[in-house]
Amino acid sequence: MTEFFLFLSQINPGELWGIVWLSLWVSGAGLLLATALALPLAALLALKRFPGRDAVVNILHTFMGLPPVVLGLLLYLLLSRAGPLGVLGLLYTPTAMILAQTILALPIVAALAHSAIVNVDPVVRQAAVTLGATARQQAFTVIREARYGIVSGIMAGFGRANAELGAVLIVGGNIAGYTRVMTTSIALETDKGNFELGIVLGLILLALSLLVNLALRRLQKRGQSAGAELSSWA
Amino acid sequence: MMTKMVLILALIGALLIVANVAAAETRLRCASTTSTENSGLFKYLLPIFEKKTGIHVDVVAVGTGAAIEIGKRGDADVVFVHAKEQELKAVEEGYFVNRHDVMYNDFVIIGPASDPAKISGMKSAPEAFGKIAAAGGPFVSRGDKSGTNTKELAIWKAAGIDPKGQKWYLEAGQGMEKTQRVANEKKAYTLTDRGTWLATKDKDKLEMVIVLEKDPVLFNQYGVMAVNPEKHKQVKYHEAMQFVDWLISPEGQQAIAGFKDARGNQLFIPNAK
Amino acid sequence: MGLRIEVTKVAKAYNGNPVLRDCSYNFAPGLTYALQGPNGSGKSTLLRFLALLEAPDTGSVDYLENSTVLPINLELRRRFTLVLPRPGIFNTTVFNNVAYGLKIRGVKSGEIEARVDTILETVGLSHKRSQRALDLSSGETKRLGLARAMVLAPEILFLDEPTANIDPLNTDIIEEIILKMKAGGQTTILLITHDPAQAERLGDRLLLMKEGKLVPG
Repeated sequence: MTEFFLFLSQINPGELWGIVWLSLWVSGAGLLLATALALPLAALLALKRFPGRDAVVNILHTFMGLPPVVLGLLLYLLLSRAGPLGVLGLLYTPTAMILAQTILALPIVAALAHSAIVNVDPVVRQAAVTLGATARQQAFTVIREARYGIVSGIMAGFGRANAELGAVLIVGGNIAGYTRVMTTSIALETDKGNFELGIVLGLILLALSLLVNLALRRLQKRGQSAGAELSSWA
Repeated sequence: MMTKMVLILALIGALLIVANVAAAETRLRCASTTSTENSGLFKYLLPIFEKKTGIHVDVVAVGTGAAIEIGKRGDADVVFVHAKEQELKAVEEGYFVNRHDVMYNDFVIIGPASDPAKISGMKSAPEAFGKIAAAGGPFVSRGDKSGTNTKELAIWKAAGIDPKGQKWYLEAGQGMEKTQRVANEKKAYTLTDRGTWLATKDKDKLEMVIVLEKDPVLFNQYGVMAVNPEKHKQVKYHEAMQFVDWLISPEGQQAIAGFKDARGNQLFIPNAK
Repeated sequence: MGLRIEVTKVAKAYNGNPVLRDCSYNFAPGLTYALQGPNGSGKSTLLRFLALLEAPDTGSVDYLENSTVLPINLELRRRFTLVLPRPGIFNTTVFNNVAYGLKIRGVKSGEIEARVDTILETVGLSHKRSQRALDLSSGETKRLGLARAMVLAPEILFLDEPTANIDPLNTDIIEEIILKMKAGGQTTILLITHDPAQAERLGDRLLLMKEGKLVPG
């Protein structure tokens, strides 16, 4: 434990706090954006029939395995001054990193939410119909029934975003005090040969991940101890 | 539920815009190499520059090739690397202007304290490599196409030897510190940069010594150059030139000379003309 | 007055096997019909057609009021309800399950509380009000399904095997509830059962599904 703090003292606390905060902000905002886009998409894919639906689902599953480095490179070329979106001046900004995280997390959240919704017992929707639900109300009822699976999807999305290195390194540039996050710091320290410090930072990253997961898990549990849910449901 | 989502999106959008506006102070973007960043030089140098000029320099540290490419594409305002030939070529192509030598560090050949190939006292690196080859090494190479590796291969070429595949020639495929450790284990020779050597020889308990240094072939020249504003209108040329001018000014040069590693060794020798 | 259902020459086949053929019948308002028949004879299918969950291959199901055929829309759908054999309980509290139909109809929360509590009393689930509905026993689940439908005060109530696979005690409770509703005289009830004695106890009219047609039992 003493060693833990000894290694930690190699980074000044203000800098460390900045890195932790930026990590949370970048993966958190990316995850929120991804979720806001992924849930309607998942619902559409799960509940509506339209041509090309299976193709979209296949694409989502393929993009779940998109190597972050490849995405980073594509985004770099897109956002570069010499690229089509260069005028926005987004390269090497936290915004670019959030964009990368959004694109990385979206397929995971969407695919897992989709399978959660698809796996809801069809009798739930029929029950909603017999009780007089409109098409929209039926859809929301089914989605609500899939909420635990959806939260799991969001957790997986956070895992992907938070652990991600390749894309944020390329589009963020690992600029000290501006776009340096936990993973890029770890890569940097490893590169410098400060393996112990790298491990210590890794432990902090894990602790962060644990905290976020606990928070999400709480949210997930709330429905299971049903009393607390009375006001929030329907 | 739908309204909530729209709200969240709007909120994030607003935050992003605010964040970008907040970031719009005077920031200069410098593309440089990982080794330069890792040496700690920028951490020491940039606050001095910022204090004087109010310009905050963001360093994007990547490989040499990528740093030059980033500058060529206009994604940085100034480039600070150590690949003089490539730099001059890019200037000639019109991508950069006002290139200046800033400083150098040097490579050294290290080997076991017993120096089995009897290199100590020699002056020429290629000749030393020839003797190592003749003695059957062993020699550990980074084997990773890094700047150091490139330098090493150039020396082999100058020595007229193709070491690849020789059984005394080991390619570590690792960073400099690890390569040194491998050389230490194998009682082998290797080429390293003085900075890494000074920073790690005690920490890693290396039983090795410098067997050859100061051959001009081993000098590693650092240069700085501004991205040509005629190629990329949005670059902060004025600020970039303030940075370039400061680096090569007596004040900047003194600051570079004043940069020491944790053990008090000077890592870079300023040599702007 | 009241909703009348006219089933005209309804036919349905699954994978080429006919289940219903030229099935016709008129259901009059206010009566309780008990429908019997072997497994796979098409009872449930007919009920799903009546509840407008599915459409037959040929033939029609019409709802009439004062001799006029009503258009099929949400308004009509909300005048009747079907309790499925597996009721499709939502993963929330018992209260929320019962309140569901009222909430989606925009009923004010004060009224919802009152109506739900009354129904929970009727089906004997008041003490489970705040519990997770999926934790109920199978008998309680059946009662919850019934409560969820009854709270809407439907003009027609379709019950697909309301007492299948539950213990005698729960069966008694449910029959009691159905009889009470029947006594109210406001609801047309159409229930499927495998128990002839139950059909006798509950039904005003006994029907048999035979060779794809409804015949008096």
